[in-house]
Amino acid sequence: MTRVRRLKFILWLVAGLAAAVAVARFVYGLGVTTNLSDATPWGLWVGFDLSAVAVAAGGFVLTATVYIFKLERFHKIVRLGVLAAFVLYLSFVAILLFELGLPWRIWHMVVYWNVHSPLFEVGWCVMLYTGVLVLEFFPTPAEEFPRLAKLRALLIKARMPLVILGIGLSTMHQSSLGSLFLIMPYRLHPLWYTPILPLLFLISAIALGLLMVIFENHFTAYFFRREPETATLADLGGAARWLLVSYAIIRLGDLALRGSSRYLAAPGWPAMLFWLEIATITVVPAVLLSLPRLRRSVQGQWLAASAGVFGVVLNRVDVGGLAHLGHGNELYVPAWTEIVISAGIVAAAALAFLFVIERFRIWEQRPADPDADPAALPKFDRVGTTWLGEPAIAGRTVYSLAFVAAAAVGFALIESQPVDGRGIVPQPVHRARGGDTLWIDGNLNGYGVAFPHAKIEARLGGEASCVKCHHMNVPRDRNSGCYECHRDMYLTTDASRHDWHASPDGGRLACRDCHDSSRPRTALVSKKCDYCHKNLVPQGATIQVKNYKSVGYVQAMHALCIDCHVNLAKQTGKPEFARCATCHKERRARVDAPELAERERIGRGMLLPAVAKR
Amino acid sequence: MKAAILTDTTKCIGCNECVIACKKINHLPADAPRRWDRDDGLSARNWTSIVEGPGHSLVRKQCRHCAEPACVSACPVGALTKSANGAVIYDSSKCMGCRYCMMACPYGIPRYEWDQAVPYLRKCILCNDRLQAGGRPACTEACPSKATIFGDRDALLAEAHRRIEASPGAYDGKVWGETELGGTSVLYVSKADLSFLATGEPLGATPVPNTTSLAMDAVPFAFTGVVAAMAGVSWVIERRMKREEEGSDD
Repeated sequence: MTRVRRLKFILWLVAGLAAAVAVARFVYGLGVTTNLSDATPWGLWVGFDLSAVAVAAGGFVLTATVYIFKLERFHKIVRLGVLAAFVLYLSFVAILLFELGLPWRIWHMVVYWNVHSPLFEVGWCVMLYTGVLVLEFFPTPAEEFPRLAKLRALLIKARMPLVILGIGLSTMHQSSLGSLFLIMPYRLHPLWYTPILPLLFLISAIALGLLMVIFENHFTAYFFRREPETATLADLGGAARWLLVSYAIIRLGDLALRGSSRYLAAPGWPAMLFWLEIATITVVPAVLLSLPRLRRSVQGQWLAASAGVFGVVLNRVDVGGLAHLGHGNELYVPAWTEIVISAGIVAAAALAFLFVIERFRIWEQRPADPDADPAALPKFDRVGTTWLGEPAIAGRTVYSLAFVAAAAVGFALIESQPVDGRGIVPQPVHRARGGDTLWIDGNLNGYGVAFPHAKIEARLGGEASCVKCHHMNVPRDRNSGCYECHRDMYLTTDASRHDWHASPDGGRLACRDCHDSSRPRTALVSKKCDYCHKNLVPQGATIQVKNYKSVGYVQAMHALCIDCHVNLAKQTGKPEFARCATCHKERRARVDAPELAERERIGRGMLLPAVAKR
Repeated sequence: MKAAILTDTTKCIGCNECVIACKKINHLPADAPRRWDRDDGLSARNWTSIVEGPGHSLVRKQCRHCAEPACVSACPVGALTKSANGAVIYDSSKCMGCRYCMMACPYGIPRYEWDQAVPYLRKCILCNDRLQAGGRPACTEACPSKATIFGDRDALLAEAHRRIEASPGAYDGKVWGETELGGTSVLYVSKADLSFLATGEPLGATPVPNTTSLAMDAVPFAFTGVVAAMAGVSWVIERRMKREEEGSDD
């Protein structure tokens, strides 16, 4: 296989995998196919959006160089630059369609206006500049179609205003992506948040635009075995380094002026990410591009451009989601599905890019289509409507196979995703609130028992009697959810948290603190809870903790109530107390049925009639 | 009248009647723990919740209905608006699901229907339709201990200061929501420090939308400037090149 074929094969594989995930995204929604949450509503895809636009800056930077500053020696690479920008803007729109909750309403931005919103500006810049790119690029494919000659001539005449409009829109767009985050002073990390974020975005985008032109030229040169325009590109690299250095100076200077430089040395990942950005955006490319020999070498340019692209993309992903102050300790890590969709759009964009390069005249000479074999017979006989077969699997056949096989793998992987997002998120439990009647619905299925809590509390001895029925919470944890222990009402559950005891943030215990080193490390032969937690089980409690297990919920309720009532029934001659139907009588019989139905529907079990009537 | 709610956390008994009333009136679906929920009890299915603040205080969380809401300024399609009576309301027919409001809100209030294939934003709307009909929010009606009360913002502010003056030891002396970020319609008086209700650093007095207004106001001028500069540079260079050509011809 040629280099291009091998590349295309991989791209089709990735695209196929993403196609399957894309279907799942629209069928199941965002909750299942992403790791986004109420705490981090934006994630990798927004970082991708910001990166795509930054990387596309090569288009307007190059058109400015050639058509405004009239540096004719760059003319031969301008078509490639515009094509790359065009494809990248399309991929921006593509990821937006996944990212928006209601993507079929993307046109709302045209109809409903809010001129105060930076996102509104971003949306309009994307729409208009994508249109400008279409018009700027149109003359290239139109060469192949004589019928379009008139239109082509018209667009070439209109090139100057188009280029100027494109530069204006790009400037606004690049900077407005920075403005987008100005509204989050309480969210974005102080190493990234600054009022001059729009300016930083613009400068880094222009510098990246120059590096991206270098990158895409070497990329295509490698895969199409062309001679890269190294000498021409060296001049771009020379210009880029000044921008890169000034970017770092402005950014660090701004940090110092705002008094946020103390975060630079703070331990933790924000400072590390920041320095990684500075190193890859500025230090590596600026050093490489300042040494004349490296600046004029393929390797030097390739490395400088790759480092710069990586650095700016990292910067955009940081601002887009990573460098946000979370709510508490919730950490966002992109789901594999998010990564696959992003990679799939990159793959699709690259395939479109390669297609246009092979099909139209981007350079003086069009590269040979690696999939077109001039000696091959037509595979399909249109007259006889028969398949003529093919000697070996190659070209489009193998791409189709890759796409379909990868899609099948994608569907298989999606199947194993939990589709309803039922998750282990601790639900807060508050102090016991008491009440007259509890609606106990252990199975959460709407069939429950009305439990006369106040009456029984009074009979057992008032407030002092709580411990007779209620066992303790998980130690030192005020917010453990019911279901953490009562995961299944028929099973015993673990009353101790092993992880917490061993954690450096928690118990800080060594293994031998609980486990005897000469014996197997099992719960049965370890120290019991009350070895350390002397007051864990209150005086007078009926429920005891044995072997770290609490008894099943059903057993707890039934054993505690029924055992006594059986005895009581013997003494007082009231056998009905110990019967199921005493409590489990007709459903909802004891309380106002419509009220109960409503509370049952909304899933709140507590009834407080005495308080509510006051 | 500017509708407002005053919540006195020292009076809250944590009975959750406000939560139940809110769920009933807004026809919200049943609870179930989900991966994307935050641990404060607010979700697309719960527009208000009672959280445990510092010192075991019970604090009712809900949309603050800011005087100058960040979400309204952020929404690109104007689906979120500040109505005349002070409520920040949501028009689901305009929303396109960008979730910029969720990112912009300094209190982290708006929640999303992550489990839906056609998801919408969800948050407290101060029972706006009831306000229009002359009523008051369901939560304030349901509260048995009058810990959360409804009224005109100025009247409630006066009431809040009166309570603080009457029993200085019972409160920390601050009316939460009076001035932060330009003020909010949902006010709190409390013994405990309520700064945990906001995300990130302690809030200043500047409204959040001010952070973007400078950049947004500059857009038309910057755009015109860039276009004019490019046209000018192009014209100058072209003329110089022409002259050089003419010069070389001679």
